[in-house]
Amino acid sequence: MYKLSKKEIIEIQNKRLRAIIKYAYENSPFYRRKFSKIDIDSIRTKEDLKKIPFTTKDDVRENYPLGLLAVDFSKIIRFHASSGTTGNPTVVAYTKKDLENWTELCARCLELVGVTSNDVVQIAYGYGLFTGGLGFHYGAEKIGAKVIPTSTGNTKRQIKLMKDLGTTVICCTPSYGLYLAETAKEENIDPKKDLKLRIGVFGAEPWSENTRKKLEENFVENAYDIYGMAELTGPGVAIECKYKNGLHVWEDYFIVEIIDPNTGEVLEPGEKGEMVITTLMKEAMPFIRYRTRDITILEDDQCDCGLDHARIMRILGRTDDMLKIRGICVFPSQIEEVILKTNGLSPHYQIIADREGVMDKLIVRVEVAENFKTDKLTDVVMLQRKLEEELKDSLGIDTIVELVEPKKIPRSEGKAQRIIDLRKMKGLL
Amino acid sequence: MKQLSVFLENRPGRLANLLKILEENKIKLLAMGIAEAGNYGIVRMIVDKFEKAIEVLRNANMAVNQADVIIIDLDRLTEVAKLFGELGINIDYAYSMNDNKIVLKVDNEENAIKILNNKGIKFIA
Ligand SMILES: [Zn+2]
Repeated sequence: MYKLSKKEIIEIQNKRLRAIIKYAYENSPFYRRKFSKIDIDSIRTKEDLKKIPFTTKDDVRENYPLGLLAVDFSKIIRFHASSGTTGNPTVVAYTKKDLENWTELCARCLELVGVTSNDVVQIAYGYGLFTGGLGFHYGAEKIGAKVIPTSTGNTKRQIKLMKDLGTTVICCTPSYGLYLAETAKEENIDPKKDLKLRIGVFGAEPWSENTRKKLEENFVENAYDIYGMAELTGPGVAIECKYKNGLHVWEDYFIVEIIDPNTGEVLEPGEKGEMVITTLMKEAMPFIRYRTRDITILEDDQCDCGLDHARIMRILGRTDDMLKIRGICVFPSQIEEVILKTNGLSPHYQIIADREGVMDKLIVRVEVAENFKTDKLTDVVMLQRKLEEELKDSLGIDTIVELVEPKKIPRSEGKAQRIIDLRKMKGLL
Repeated sequence: MKQLSVFLENRPGRLANLLKILEENKIKLLAMGIAEAGNYGIVRMIVDKFEKAIEVLRNANMAVNQADVIIIDLDRLTEVAKLFGELGINIDYAYSMNDNKIVLKVDNEENAIKILNNKGIKFIA
């Protein structure tokens, strides 16, 4: 049972931590090297983890494909892989026990959001090398639900099956969820009336409260965020409960630390930083102090649902995109969210960091929409002030907003050049 | 009367660019007022080819809007301002036009037109 008290969680964590550190040291040449300067018997609690160096994406890349392996090749029964942005994919291996644990985690997640054996669960995550499809598949099967393994694509058929088989739970990416809703409407099916979708479990990409609103207004009754990644077994690491106030991490399987991505210093609960995860139960490929590059906040107080497993807040962005302004971490995603909900603006913006004397300043340059009302100058000034106020509420620092004419922000194919750090260019960082 | 207004950044060359587009499309400017605050400006215009002006400015990716305004003779302004004042009609802004005329934007056009008609004051709306 996963309903553990805080005390029980800590006891299990400490016991499993000692075991996994010893196991990794004894079975993986990679970790043996990494821990060479550490007295591994001194690692007894989460606090002691600080003594251990981080494991990074670069480690995984440099040790491609199976350098982190901690079991004999004969014990492996599955591989998955996630696409790297450059070069080699990240390959992960599973033992039988790993697959059982993964199944358990995904079953817990679905159970927590209310999925039962009576549900019809349609899984529209990709099946294959990507962990999404199979992870949810195992979890839903374990619960005894009726699984429709549609995988991705063939959107019209997805909707037909949803309608004809009475799907009650949909698992897919949030963007595909929105696309399914749109396509249903084009087929003259109103998801809220003609379909029976009680629950949507959306993951594999960061999404916002605005998207939740859209999904719940147009598609499913309740939309939940789920977190995971191939290195950490796949989906199932953390999920929102019915209170939708952060994602519960299964702390008997994972230890979460939040660090300052620049200094590596461990931060307190409530502070924003990079999530570092230690897998406590992985056999084939343990990840010890793995830097996820995902930015979030850990909340350790008890949730209204009564579960003692700590929560991480929605993923705010990747460390690659982070800016530090006057000591505070700022993410483009936070700024984007404010811009998207403000009328009169286009979704095109640029963020410019600069330093005057010793003071950092943050300029947000955003295009007005072409239909922006321009009759009165006060409207323009009000819009600017409103945006500055809302950015201050959201980021906790002062920003300077510059409204620019439509189509004045340079467009680019692929990843937009949204951040300009003049401090870097001037050699001040 | 329909007025055009365009949002511009308050930078050198932006106004010239706007005027160039109008000229290239043979649109004649009859009146123009500029309001600016810090980095922004709003340019308000009366032109001879209203629909065409909207089209070319939008094609040039400008944020364009329209509003109804009233045009009166400049020498009746004192009288009109007093009348409006008495009736609680506010003049949001005004700018002068060729031919000794002035463009007024009021917050209650319907009442403004009514009173101008009643008093026999010549206007274009
Ligand atoms: Zn909860």
